[in-house]
Amino acid sequence: MRLVLRDPHTWLVMLAGGLLGLAGVMLALLGNPQNSGICVSCFLENSAGALGLHDNARMQYLRPELIGFVLGSTLAAVGFREFSSKGGSAPLPRLLSGVFLIVGCSVFIGCPIKLFLRLAAGDLTTLTGLLGLVGGVWLGLKGLAAGVDLGRAKKKPDGSGLWTPLLFVLLLLFLFIRPGFVLFSERGSAAEAAPILIALGIGLLLGAAAQRTRFCVTGGLRDLMIMGMRAPLFWGFIVFVLVAFAAGLATGTFNLGFYGQPGAHLDLLWSFFGMLLVGSVSVLIGGCPFRQLIKAGEGDADAGLVVIGMFLGAGLVQAWQIAGTAAGVPVYGKIAVVLGLAFILMNLLFFRERAAA
Amino acid sequence: MKDRFDILLGVLLLSCAVAIVGLLAGSGSQASQRDLALDKALEQEIAYQAKVSFLERVYAPVIELRAQGQNESALLKLDELSRQYPAEAHGELLRGEILLQFGAKQKAIAHLARAVRMNGDYVDRHSPLSRRELIDPLLDRELVEMKQQADANPESSTVRAALKDLYYLQGRMAGGCE
Repeated sequence: MRLVLRDPHTWLVMLAGGLLGLAGVMLALLGNPQNSGICVSCFLENSAGALGLHDNARMQYLRPELIGFVLGSTLAAVGFREFSSKGGSAPLPRLLSGVFLIVGCSVFIGCPIKLFLRLAAGDLTTLTGLLGLVGGVWLGLKGLAAGVDLGRAKKKPDGSGLWTPLLFVLLLLFLFIRPGFVLFSERGSAAEAAPILIALGIGLLLGAAAQRTRFCVTGGLRDLMIMGMRAPLFWGFIVFVLVAFAAGLATGTFNLGFYGQPGAHLDLLWSFFGMLLVGSVSVLIGGCPFRQLIKAGEGDADAGLVVIGMFLGAGLVQAWQIAGTAAGVPVYGKIAVVLGLAFILMNLLFFRERAAA
Repeated sequence: MKDRFDILLGVLLLSCAVAIVGLLAGSGSQASQRDLALDKALEQEIAYQAKVSFLERVYAPVIELRAQGQNESALLKLDELSRQYPAEAHGELLRGEILLQFGAKQKAIAHLARAVRMNGDYVDRHSPLSRRELIDPLLDRELVEMKQQADANPESSTVRAALKDLYYLQGRMAGGCE
C-alpha cells in the first residue's frame, strides 16, 4: 500500500477521483437534477431525446458535460500524443453491449458514477445496486479468467478513431446553434441544467483528467479484486466517493435513508439485476459507460461503437418504457434486463477460448 | 499532405467543414425555419399548451362545482369524465384534491400519487399544472402521522399503501433524474 501511494500516478488518479466527486455534487447545486450532477446514462437519455431518438418531452437536452467528456479526452490525448485510431474487435457485440449498458443503468436509474453519487448522498436504495455492480464485475472477471476474450483491437492507420470525436464536435455545434430538429425540454428533469459554459468546462476538465488517469468506476472495482489495495484506480475511486460524501455533507444535500430519495425506486431486486448487467458488460468490454466515452475520445473505434450503442439504447429505454422511474421498474424493463443477462451469458460462451483437450 | 491530390482533398474538406457550420448557423434564422417548417420545439410547445387548454376546458364544470361548494356533484362529474377519458391524470388529481377536502386522506393520497405517476408535470416547478404547493404541505403533515398509524397498525394494508404513496410523492418532490 505504501508503494502505491508513493507513485505519482496514484496521486493523479486520486486527484481525478476527487474532481469527479466534487463536480458531481457541484453540478447538481448549479442546476442539474438532484443526485444527478454527473450521470452518463441520464445524460445520454437526455441527449438521445434532444436528437429525436425518443419522444419523452421531459427528457430532452443535449447535455454539455457529455460533449465535454469526449472532447476533453480527445484534446488531452492529442496534447500528450496518445491519440491513435484502433478498433476491429467484435464490433456488433460491442454495439449491443452499449445498448444493454444503458438498459441496466436505466432500470437502476443511473450509471455507476451516479450509483456512488447517490450512495454518498445517503440514498440507501443503491445498496442492492452496489451489490449487483460488484457481482457483475466479479462475473465478468471470472469470464476473463476462464478465457473469454472479445479479441484485441488493432491499430488503424485509416483515422477511424476520429469519427466519434467528430460526432461530438457536431453535437457541440448543435448545442450552440440549436437547429429546429434539436429539442430542449421546458419541463421535467431535462429542464434542470447547470449553465452551459460551466457544464461544458467541467466536462472538458473531467474528460481530460480521465484520459490522463484512465479513471473508471468498474475498473476500480476490477483492479481491487485483482490487485487488492495496490491498485491506483481503487484509490482514485475511494477519493471520488469520499469527496462526494464530504461535499454532500458540506452543502446540506446529504439525506440518509431509503425513502423520499430523488431519482430512486424501491424495486431493490431489479436495481441489483440492472447493475449486475452493467458490471458484467463493463468488464467484458473494458470499462464503464464513462470510460467508454473517454476511450472513444482518444481514438478507440470499438469504444466509439459502444457509444453509438449507448445512444441507441438511450433512445430505446425511453421509447419502449424500459427505464425505471420513482414508481418502480416497468415490466419491459425487467424483460430487457433478463435479455441483457442472456446476452452476456451467450457472449461468455461464444467468446471463450477453451484449452485444447 | 504528400502530393497535390492530398492538398486538393484537404482544401475540399476544409470547405465542407466551413459550409456545414455556415449552413447550420443559417438554419437557426427565422426565415430558414419557415422554409424548413421544422421547429420541433415550437410544435411541442403548441401541443403542450393545447393540452393544458383542453384540460381546463374539459374539467371546467368540475372546477365550477367545487367553487360553488358542491363537492359531491363534482365527484359525480369526475366519474362521468373518467369514463370518457380513463387514461387522463387530471381527473385523478382533482379527485385527490376533493377527497382531501373531505378529510378522506388515504384515498386522497392514493389518487394524488396515481396522478403524479401518470403525469410528472404535477410536481414540476416549471409547469402550469404544478401542484407542488398542495403536495409539499401534505407531505409535511401526513408523513409523520401515517408513520405513527403504520406503527400502531402494522397489519393495516391501507395504511401501508398510503405510506408507500407518500414516500413516492416525497421522492418525486425531491427531484432527481426521471
